[in-house]
Amino acid sequence: MNKLQSSLVIVGVLVGLIVGAKFYLAPKAKKVEVNIQDARAKGNPQARVKIIEFVDFQCPACAYGLKYLKTFFDQHPNDLYIQVRYFPLTNMHHHAMISALFSECAARQGKFWALDDQMISQQAQWAQLINPQPVFQSMASQVGMDMDQLNVCLASENARKVINDEKSLGQSLGITSTPTYFVNNKMVVGPKSLADELKNHFPQ
Amino acid sequence: MYVILRIAIGCIFILSGLGKLLSPYQNFLYVIQAYQLLPSWAEVLTAQVFPWIELIVGVFVLLGLWTPWALRGALLCFGIFVVVVGQALIRALPLESCGCFGELVHLKPQTVIVMDSVSLVLTYLLLKGLTRTRKFSLDVYFDNV
Repeated sequence: MNKLQSSLVIVGVLVGLIVGAKFYLAPKAKKVEVNIQDARAKGNPQARVKIIEFVDFQCPACAYGLKYLKTFFDQHPNDLYIQVRYFPLTNMHHHAMISALFSECAARQGKFWALDDQMISQQAQWAQLINPQPVFQSMASQVGMDMDQLNVCLASENARKVINDEKSLGQSLGITSTPTYFVNNKMVVGPKSLADELKNHFPQ
Repeated sequence: MYVILRIAIGCIFILSGLGKLLSPYQNFLYVIQAYQLLPSWAEVLTAQVFPWIELIVGVFVLLGLWTPWALRGALLCFGIFVVVVGQALIRALPLESCGCFGELVHLKPQTVIVMDSVSLVLTYLLLKGLTRTRKFSLDVYFDNV
């Protein structure tokens, strides 16, 4: 075998190995199910476009994406169903877990979207703090959460488990960055790709 | 020394390409979009093709196969990285992580531009000292066959 033939064989073997590895290491869960009972969902459960959004509340792009989706949802309230799942990037964002915990506890009191609005609109401020908990407590109080229930929830292992389980689900779907969306089960990463994908579903 | 450096540069490319190829391409597309440099169609094309180029260049540099061309490819890639990350820093784009190694490693753009610049110079030195770089390479094996 000469040098050129050897090179082609090497490239062929590489392609084969990668395709094989992608096949065997492919996301174990092929699709993420919409849960219509979820307190972190809004919109029409029968909508033709269902979006599941994996977010980290400290991620600036997630804040931008959540604001974008809120505006888009207000324009198409009957055609969209949106559900939020947790994907805290704890190695990048120090407050990713605690912000997700407050959100999960808000969801358990039916206040997820109210707290979410506050968290996202003030993200730039609390993200800079060493300890954002007092700010989150204040937001929780403002949206009318029961503070005793909140404190019990924050201390519970169950809320943390829900968050970690959703992150594990996200990882099994191949998620590495936030925000990652599944628009009718098609994976879309980042607000720009989301906007492009929604244009396909809602041509102007 | 040259051989060790050649292997190290090859490994960097292989690691970088593998990290992206084993993850859904949408993740790398998101990284490319953050640099706000290409039209949408080119972003998608780059996300799907570039990791393969990195992997193949890396393997060829590592094995020392078509070494001058593989090193030129590596030089071009490092040059592109420096320009892309540099323009993002100049424009103060909000990049949290460069995305260079997929999910394997998170590096700040400021760190990456230094690493890429150093790698660019080292690759250039490998290309200049080709006789020493080609030691223990498949090129030498095929030259002697």
